Amino acid sequence: MYHDSVTVPQMQRARGRAAAGFALRGGRVRLTELHQSGSAKAMLPRVHAATPEVVFLNTAGGLTGGDRMAYALEVGAGARVTATTQAAERAYAASGGVAELDVAIAAGPGAEVAWLPQETILFDRSALARRTSATLAGDARLVMAETLVLGRAAMGETVATLSLADRREVTRDGAPVLLEPLAIDSAALARRGGAAVLGGARAMATVALVAPGAEDALGRVRAALTDPAVEAAASGWDGKCVVRMLAPDGFPLRRLVARVIETLTPGPLPRVWQM
Amino acid sequence: MSDLLTLVQWLSPAFPVGSFAYSHGMEQAIAAGDVTSADDLAAWLEDILRLGAGRSDAILLACALRGEAEDRLAAVARALAASRERWEETMAQGRAFAEAITGATGTPMDPLPYPVAVGVAARRLDLPPAQVAAQYLHAVASNLVSAAVRFVPLGQAEGQRVLAGLHATVAEIADQAAKARVDDITAFAPRADLAAMRHETMDVRIFRT
Repeated sequence: MYHDSVTVPQMQRARGRAAAGFALRGGRVRLTELHQSGSAKAMLPRVHAATPEVVFLNTAGGLTGGDRMAYALEVGAGARVTATTQAAERAYAASGGVAELDVAIAAGPGAEVAWLPQETILFDRSALARRTSATLAGDARLVMAETLVLGRAAMGETVATLSLADRREVTRDGAPVLLEPLAIDSAALARRGGAAVLGGARAMATVALVAPGAEDALGRVRAALTDPAVEAAASGWDGKCVVRMLAPDGFPLRRLVARVIETLTPGPLPRVWQM
Repeated sequence: MSDLLTLVQWLSPAFPVGSFAYSHGMEQAIAAGDVTSADDLAAWLEDILRLGAGRSDAILLACALRGEAEDRLAAVARALAASRERWEETMAQGRAFAEAITGATGTPMDPLPYPVAVGVAARRLDLPPAQVAAQYLHAVASNLVSAAVRFVPLGQAEGQRVLAGLHATVAEIADQAAKARVDDITAFAPRADLAAMRHETMDVRIFRT
């Protein structure tokens, strides 16, 4: 019956929260908490390995306006955990509202955490507000990688309208140590061709090691930045080693991000990052 | 009038902050062929002002001027620095500015990141925050124009036309900054950040950044 269907149907909005916690018990890293609700999942393919792996997944298959997703990872003192995502995150055109994704990482003293999500692909007219916060205690060590792709070149996608707020913040014992409050609206996007903005690039990545003595990694990280398809540079200061990269498309960037992650983390790359 | 002249003095090239030694990564952009003309320079500077450290620093300055705790603002500035040289650039100029203020006024001032230091010092001036932020951004842009005129190189008149062409942007960003909070700081100038990092490994460098 269509004659009385004057009300706009309530769009199905995705909601989800996945959280995993680990602690060092008797010399081994143990899972101490696992919560999954809505369309967020946390899978544990290598839970008994020396470095357990958590793979977060958005079963809704992408983000659109009004979605609310949260991932949380808590790693206790002295434990080592690697976390990633099952697939590239896709931010689709939003008919209204903003998709919100909240990523909260906490690491105790001596913990080693790698937060290595796969790339986020931003489609035209997408609206995404993401906040990634890492709370480090004492001498915790963090490696984090974030890659953004503005439409896929191979698919002929062009992004002209966008609302992105992608705030990354790392604190140590309550004090800010790394703050990257990336934001791109349509006005900023119109300036993308500028040599100070993206030049001709459409994919950008930051990989950061935040740890006491992180500066010492600079030499070996710089030695890994040899891919001619990627503009890349690194700097080390103040307990950080930060690598920035730009590329014409997602693939060469992904290859170099993987290589840099390999130089900064012990053990094998998460399976989803292996090429 | 006296307060305005004091601010102009603090932000003039004669005030011993040493800004002439810093190019904010532009030396690398010039060497790489990204800034080779007056038009390139205008675009580079407008992007820095709108999407890079220009707007971020103007907000930090306005927050400091408003009386927000300077140690917290200094910590934010430190965490925001996109590379080692960016941190050195803001801290070295801020330290020199604080020393010069201490020498000029007799009131001791602690070293702070440059925009925070200017905001703290300007608390004693009876000037609108947007005006202080605009003067600060103008001084930053003027310093970079001067560097580009010497090293692109460009004609003096071309350089001054670029600077005049940025006045509207400077005023607009300063107005935004005067109303903004620390959490309103955002950035989208990744290639300028990359240039700042690449500057560290240039074989021949005139500028410290």
